[in-house]
Amino acid sequence: MLKKNLTFIGVLMVMVFLIAAPATAQKVRGVTDTEILVGQWGPQTGPAAPWGAVARGTDLLFKIINEEGGIHGRKFKYYLRDDSYQPAKTKAIAKEFVEQIGVFAVVGGIGVATGMTARDYLMENKVPWYAPITGVYEWISPIQKYLFAQYPLYDDEAFNLTGYLHEKLGYKKIAMFYQNDDYGKQGAQGVERYLLRKKISLVAKVSAEMTDRDLSTHALKLKNSGAEAVIMWTMPTHAALILAESAKIGFKPQWATSNTLSDSALMMQITKGLWAGMINSFALELPDSNLPLMVKYREWHKKLAPQERWGTFYYAGIAFAEPFVEGVRRAGRDLTADNWVKAMETLKDWKGISSPITFTNPMDRQGGKHVFYGKVKPDGNIERLTDWIRITK
Amino acid sequence: MFGQLIVSGLAVGACYALLAIAMVIIYKSSEVLNFAQGEMAMVSTFVAFMLLDAYHVPFPWAAALTFLFAILLGIFFEIVFLRQAKDPTVIGLIIITLGFEMVLMGFAGWKWGPDQRSFPFPISNIEAYNFYGLIISKINFWTILITLVLMFILFLFFRYTKLGIAMRATQQNQLAARVMGIRTKWILSFTWAISSIVGAVAGMLIAALGILDPPMMMDPLLKGFASAVLGGMTSLPGTAVGGAMLGIIENLFGGYVSLAFKSAVAFIIIILMLCIKPSGLLAKHYVKKV
Repeated sequence: MLKKNLTFIGVLMVMVFLIAAPATAQKVRGVTDTEILVGQWGPQTGPAAPWGAVARGTDLLFKIINEEGGIHGRKFKYYLRDDSYQPAKTKAIAKEFVEQIGVFAVVGGIGVATGMTARDYLMENKVPWYAPITGVYEWISPIQKYLFAQYPLYDDEAFNLTGYLHEKLGYKKIAMFYQNDDYGKQGAQGVERYLLRKKISLVAKVSAEMTDRDLSTHALKLKNSGAEAVIMWTMPTHAALILAESAKIGFKPQWATSNTLSDSALMMQITKGLWAGMINSFALELPDSNLPLMVKYREWHKKLAPQERWGTFYYAGIAFAEPFVEGVRRAGRDLTADNWVKAMETLKDWKGISSPITFTNPMDRQGGKHVFYGKVKPDGNIERLTDWIRITK
Repeated sequence: MFGQLIVSGLAVGACYALLAIAMVIIYKSSEVLNFAQGEMAMVSTFVAFMLLDAYHVPFPWAAALTFLFAILLGIFFEIVFLRQAKDPTVIGLIIITLGFEMVLMGFAGWKWGPDQRSFPFPISNIEAYNFYGLIISKINFWTILITLVLMFILFLFFRYTKLGIAMRATQQNQLAARVMGIRTKWILSFTWAISSIVGAVAGMLIAALGILDPPMMMDPLLKGFASAVLGGMTSLPGTAVGGAMLGIIENLFGGYVSLAFKSAVAFIIIILMLCIKPSGLLAKHYVKKV
């Protein structure tokens, strides 16, 4: 009986294989005559949930493109999954994307630890992955054929921000406050790299753990260091907590931070106005920018997603998916992963609503290399201090 | 710096102590560790936020309505979830609290969204009093004061009111209490209500000290648990002392030894206490049930 069953199953498997094989050989995963399937993970719950708006912003971009008729006769079908910023979940989502849904590509994805659990798996399966939403070296080194990075590198961003504080604004006593993980550490690395070159040392280097909710000691240490300027590389909660704790003990240095905290409307609200005066680097156009593309997106936002707040995190989801879409457009009707890669490698100073994007050198997968600096005004708006500055060679 | 570390340690410790007391009130009555404590407090705090921010209710009224909500939430959980368990073991009940924690977390995320908010508290979290060079922020000062007052009220309640005495009787011997005419089931619900109010006070203070968002209680709850273990899981004064001590020890460790391992101190304390004096600093005796 068992033998009979096994034979039957064996025959069935061979038949399925024979039927399926020629079909899949011609078909591109996630691309049909009318649709392109794309996935993204992002924390919709848990401590990193405010960053989850990015993945919802991408949804708006795909909706806009679909409303405008799609690309080469195909519309985007978008799958958004909540990984709660937990790497184990991210891995499972990546598998679901590839093995169950069968997506053509993955766009965005917040987090270093989360993305790292999926990187090798996606690359082994030749899934194009555009713009993980973090600026660490793991995405561009070693070079992966199907992985393109856009987010400015934290290391270079911090290096240049420190230079700006030191050279342009004349601060000599600089302290660092950072999150004790890859994100914060690569920021700290950039700051120290710059100071080392100038033969100055940090007056204090203070880190916080993700779960910390009491930063009074951290603030005291920063104050006692006598720092004139403090650079912070943290998540929004810690940024707000450290500002409040510092204000309590009368510590008022010049604060400066990364573009990860550039949602000044949110930051002004949670810091009760202490955010004013912050020197911030920006990797995207400002929310009220008059750039025609920004105006267009804002109008669509009102029409298609009025429930969402038009904040930096939200439209970052658009900014980090635009070049991917441009790649799909340039690849033409015959869309395959390899054609898309070739198309992406033709992008040169391509401009959406983020910095200029270039991928023409196949040995360099870092597309975004510019930021600009701004200062937060007391009303929460931004005074733009510079034009786009190239931070990565 | 030393004085400053002690003061801010005391303020944080006061919040730990409140959460610890909320846990201990329930632990004493039913041996259940309530893992939903933090999220119950968080949801209550969000209710206060909603009343203050969306409906512009004056703070005292918002606080009173929040306490009412906290009472109902505590009773609701006890009656709808815990009481329904058939032949419950303590572990089973603890698992139910874990489940409720997840339900509340999901609910908060759905209802109020994940964004951080600043909690509109009548006392500024930036201004400070200056006592001869020692800077005590207003919020820290009031946190410590409110905690002390609340503890005193709880002390009076448990010692002198009929209901408080009935609760203690139920905690000591449920069967005997029932024989004496005490409605132990209602007493148990009431225990949950009181614990929920204490948690809500802690939640509002923690939100006022920092930020209001769904995961805000994760860290404080663990620290509250550590405080309870440090002071003694069955002793209310013990947990209060435990909370204050933990806050101070953490701050001194962070200030003079290592900031990176500051958070780990609480867990080292749990392990040390369980090895050296499992009943905690102030609990009178440790009974092992066979």
